[in-house]
Amino acid sequence: MDERPVLELRGITKRFPGIVANDNVDFDLRKGEVHALLGENGAGKSTLMNVLYGLYRPDEGEILINGKPAELGSPRAAIEGGVGMVHQHFMLIPVMTVAENIVLATEPVHNGVLLDYAAAERRVQDISNRFGLAVDPRATVRDITVGQQQRVEILKALYRGADILVLDEPTAVLTPQEAQELFAIVRSLTEQGKSIIFISHKLNEVTEIADRITVLRRGKKIETLPAAGATEEGLARLMVGREVLLRVEKGPAEPAAPLLRVEGLTVEDDRGLVKVRDVSFEVRGGEIVGIAGVDGNGQTELIDAIAGLRKVKAGRVVIGDEDATDKGVRDSLDAGLGHIPEDRQRRGLVLDFSLAENIALHDYDHQPASHFGWLYPKRLAEKARTLLQEFDVRGGGPQTLAGGLSGGNQQKVVLAREIDRNPKVLIAAQPTRGLDVGAIEFVHRRLVGERDEGRAILLVSLELEEILSLSDRILVIFEGEIVGEFAPGVTEEELGVAMIGGGKKAAA
Amino acid sequence: MIERLLAKLPRGARAIAWVGILVGVLAFWVALPPLAIRHPILPILIGVVGIGLGIGALSRGVRRLAWGAVVIGVLGIALGYLATRSSVGHLDQVVVWSALTAAMLRYATPLAFAAMGGLFSERSGVVNIGLEGMMLSGAFFGILGADKLNHWALGLLCAALAGAGFALIHAFFAIHLRADQIVGGFAINFLAMGITGYLFIDIYSGEGTPPDVSDIPDVHLGFLKDWYFVGPIFGQLNLMIWLAALTIVATWVVMFKTPIGLRIRAVGEHPRAADTVGISVYKIRYAAVVLSGVLAALGGAYLSIGFVNSFNQNMTAGRGYIALAAVIFGNWRPWGAAAAALLFGFSSALAQRLPAYSESAAVLFQALPYVLTLIAVAGVIGRSIPPAAVGRPYKKQ
Amino acid sequence: MSGPDPSPFGPPPDLGPPKPPESGDSASFASRLALAQRAGGAVVPLLTTILAFLIGGLVVLATTGKNPLTTYKAIFEGAGFNWFFEVGSYQLRVPFTDSHIWFPWNTNDFESLAALNLQQTLIFWVPLVFTGLAVAFAFRCGLFNIGGQGQYLVGSIMAVWVGSSLPQLPGLIHIVAAIVAGALAGAAWAGIAGLLKALVGAHEVISTIMLNWVAIWVGVFLFGLGGPLQNDTQEFVPVSNDILDESKLKVFWGDPLLQGLHVGFFVAIAALVVYWITLNRTTLGYEVRAVGYNPEAARYGGISVAKNYFLAMAISGTFAGLAGAIDIVGWQFRINTNDVLLSSIGFTGIAVALLGRNTAFGVALSGLLFAALITGTSTRNLDPEIFKPELASNLTLLIQGLVVLFVGADVLILSLLGLRKRRRRRAVETPA
Repeated sequence: MDERPVLELRGITKRFPGIVANDNVDFDLRKGEVHALLGENGAGKSTLMNVLYGLYRPDEGEILINGKPAELGSPRAAIEGGVGMVHQHFMLIPVMTVAENIVLATEPVHNGVLLDYAAAERRVQDISNRFGLAVDPRATVRDITVGQQQRVEILKALYRGADILVLDEPTAVLTPQEAQELFAIVRSLTEQGKSIIFISHKLNEVTEIADRITVLRRGKKIETLPAAGATEEGLARLMVGREVLLRVEKGPAEPAAPLLRVEGLTVEDDRGLVKVRDVSFEVRGGEIVGIAGVDGNGQTELIDAIAGLRKVKAGRVVIGDEDATDKGVRDSLDAGLGHIPEDRQRRGLVLDFSLAENIALHDYDHQPASHFGWLYPKRLAEKARTLLQEFDVRGGGPQTLAGGLSGGNQQKVVLAREIDRNPKVLIAAQPTRGLDVGAIEFVHRRLVGERDEGRAILLVSLELEEILSLSDRILVIFEGEIVGEFAPGVTEEELGVAMIGGGKKAAA
Repeated sequence: MIERLLAKLPRGARAIAWVGILVGVLAFWVALPPLAIRHPILPILIGVVGIGLGIGALSRGVRRLAWGAVVIGVLGIALGYLATRSSVGHLDQVVVWSALTAAMLRYATPLAFAAMGGLFSERSGVVNIGLEGMMLSGAFFGILGADKLNHWALGLLCAALAGAGFALIHAFFAIHLRADQIVGGFAINFLAMGITGYLFIDIYSGEGTPPDVSDIPDVHLGFLKDWYFVGPIFGQLNLMIWLAALTIVATWVVMFKTPIGLRIRAVGEHPRAADTVGISVYKIRYAAVVLSGVLAALGGAYLSIGFVNSFNQNMTAGRGYIALAAVIFGNWRPWGAAAAALLFGFSSALAQRLPAYSESAAVLFQALPYVLTLIAVAGVIGRSIPPAAVGRPYKKQ
Repeated sequence: MSGPDPSPFGPPPDLGPPKPPESGDSASFASRLALAQRAGGAVVPLLTTILAFLIGGLVVLATTGKNPLTTYKAIFEGAGFNWFFEVGSYQLRVPFTDSHIWFPWNTNDFESLAALNLQQTLIFWVPLVFTGLAVAFAFRCGLFNIGGQGQYLVGSIMAVWVGSSLPQLPGLIHIVAAIVAGALAGAAWAGIAGLLKALVGAHEVISTIMLNWVAIWVGVFLFGLGGPLQNDTQEFVPVSNDILDESKLKVFWGDPLLQGLHVGFFVAIAALVVYWITLNRTTLGYEVRAVGYNPEAARYGGISVAKNYFLAMAISGTFAGLAGAIDIVGWQFRINTNDVLLSSIGFTGIAVALLGRNTAFGVALSGLLFAALITGTSTRNLDPEIFKPELASNLTLLIQGLVVLFVGADVLILSLLGLRKRRRRRAVETPA
């Protein structure tokens, strides 16, 4: 391997209103190596790569390619500098063919004006043979598998003469088999002198594929180390950090009768792929059950199915004593479900509604909010006033628009609405995502408080820390299946192994 | 060459569906002059065969075409039956195939121009409800230019410039200001109606355009004169009709055979993907919208200085919307939109000739394009799938 | 079922890009309008109007060399607004009685041209309020109802049909029947588009445009020569029968023979109130607004998005149908095919709603502006010595177009005003 860096990022700082996404980050890439960029969601990996690809302009810092400073103000400039990017969400046009997607913007022509499809297909075939990425140039992108689509993305970069290839969370959308194929491709690319930046938050694949690893945390570079000798445990510690965990004061759980029962649940996503496979568990009153897992392993579909937002393929959902399978949102709510959704801005709140109206979102058509279809705004406001006070929502009164509040206060409004309905079962999906420390503490205390009230709480989170500090039992979901159950004393490392499928079937 | 063409012919179930469609048309045709079969049994039999072919194709999974065959079969029976009940004199008066075809071409020409314009705009991701207004501006400025500059070619130039001007306004609001494209296009229609109406009154003080305006010439093809059927249709057509045919071919070539077309389609499907490979989304969209204005305006100019040789306030009377309908009905494809323009032109031609039967029922044919498009968007006969990013403003990162 | 996507022309592509931190543009058009409304208040519409009139004035100056102010003043007087300045001490007859009370304005209607003009303006105001509300109501559900014209037409057609037949019905019931028939027809016509949207996600803009033209040609067919509803006595005039005398609305201000102001005026005011109450004081309005602002959150809240799409369109069509029906029983009494082809009340309703920011009060005011423009530039009302009415009526179209253009570009107006900070603040929450 060549020690000379083909790419250097020096002191990159990128600020967005309210946060510093990259704080003085250094990074370098040598010829023919795979350099992994490791970090949790929101650690600043994607921002750094968007800076490299000319999609964002850095506020400070410089980029050197082959030792020469490069001005990468646009994707076109990045392409000309030899940088190719495979975005996490593919930049492919579904209705066009593979060849069309690959040659777009650098099309071969004949007779001066006409697009030379034959040449395009030939060239695509050529480079696909050269790098061992088998694709059919004539296939329509929509019709090929996700793994093949990813190859098309890689070919797109190679076709443009990329020497530096950025793979942004490339395995997030792949099956394990497809991931292995990808690794083979990556190895063959480096053998032919390409240099690769491999972005991931999965420890096992990073140690498997990378030559060196740079860990980012909260926008800062923590360390760059050789992959040889790095352990998953050690990397996990670097990634998560050693700060004092936000420990939540809580007594032991006193589980009562089960209030939520999920039996043999199988759910498909919008494209008809099975995302949840034969999942069964129960949550008792007075306990918090945490579901741990890497993003995209079926958590969203599981929650949607329980909440009546998505039809189930098979199985049953029982809330309290009522069968709530496929009954729709309204009946699930009436059966005693509270639901703090993953995305409070897209789903949890109507940002253009006042807080009073948002708090009424589930109960606007019952007494006392309304009667025979007649709405009583004063009653909405009164109720909102009480709740806003109880949940310490700051930054506005009942008539303030939800969009005008900070994230923490928005989440408190959602919490207030869901808890005030006195639900038997409370689903908390990513309840602290994007919140500041104070708000996190509030949400956590409140969830524990509700547990002690005797509610059954299902906590779904990508934050291991949160799962560990709140849950009384922990279930691990992997590829739509529950692969293990743990007591709260489990270490992050043990959980981490299970979450990436390592502990499959081994758990108690 | 012939082998390549043959290879492109539909096969299997699709071919069955096509045959079904043709048979359905035949069911009606036998009842019309020159054959004018007088007994209803023949159209009914033929129609049933057409429907059967449609159902056969349907069972083999060809939805859109097969439903088309079934519908046309039913229509063929109904219309064929009606024709056998009608007096031969009436039939002869209405159904003069050559005259009908020529009229169809005349009515379809402005639609085809505007539809090709709409195709460029929509394919690049910008909804263009303003086609109507752009067409109207072409009609007025075309005749104004031809009148004041004394040559129809200069009139066409004026029309094109006016259409481009209105399109530029639409483009600026839709692309740069990211205003709602429907509201913007709608405003263009109001503006064009106001400006053309205002200037028309101001310049021609309500007396109408002069009768001696230089108009677009017809193309005389003397050698066709004595050919049966073909002669009366193609022997003397307006230049713009030939240009419309050329525009359709050119649109297809540009859209599907050149790099520019690939880029336009990419921008309309997934602008960010286009942006990440270095295509300027804004430039492409500006160019496409302005081109759509130019084409729509040429269609309008044909109306005023090629077809009726005068201008009236709001003379396009919804033709821009029919062009939009043709784009949708034609599934955002040049040949499809052109075929839809012909179909809609045919229904206008019928509406013009049918009063021999019933003064008022004839106008129902004017509504046919809209009803058909409504059925198309309802997804009864397959779904129309628009470009994925149409109507969405794009914001650079 | 899940509700269809609210954004134009179907769902976003599967391979959609990640949201950049500053993209506030994913919000629906309805919520953008709502934002603009709160951010600019009355300032944006006012500025828009002034800008449009300025440009219109420049056109007048450039083409005729006349002082635009004189022209605008003539339009103002043509619309009868000077009636408000004719203050004196007069007597007003209380409607439906013979008693008189003191009144500050000249109400000697038969002599006051201003009163006559104002009555005309208010006669136009009535349908503009209705068609404006039609567009506004759909907007509040995130739908763009461009089909006000078609719904207006089917409303008038039904009203003329019911009003001119059934002579055995007593007067009041006959009027109500005609109006209800018109309203239902409008609701059904718009309901088609609503149903298509709810069931197959067909974009309402396309379907309502098509329905407009179907309604227009059906109207021409019905009343054209030889059409099924063409006049029974005048065989060679393409016009409907007149509605029966007992199904005409009472005129409460002015001379019935000179088109005085009919009691439909009060129905329009009632409609404004009903609109406001429905949206703000009923669960229906709550659902409609929730779907309009954020269909996904509405679904999560247990609201059926599809049902609301249909209902909102049907209600919207009811308003437009009412406009057509009340125009018939109020002052038109018949339709000829030219009315069908040339009427643009429904289209103007879009401008009314946009300028009125979809609020009841805003629709009332912008409706008055457009009604005044229509009346003030009509041949009957505008002094041809000052400005040619034919020119002026096109000036009205021009001003309408400019208003719609500028109102649609809230980004432009708001950035001119520097009022976009609020949007930024909201976007801060979601870093990459």
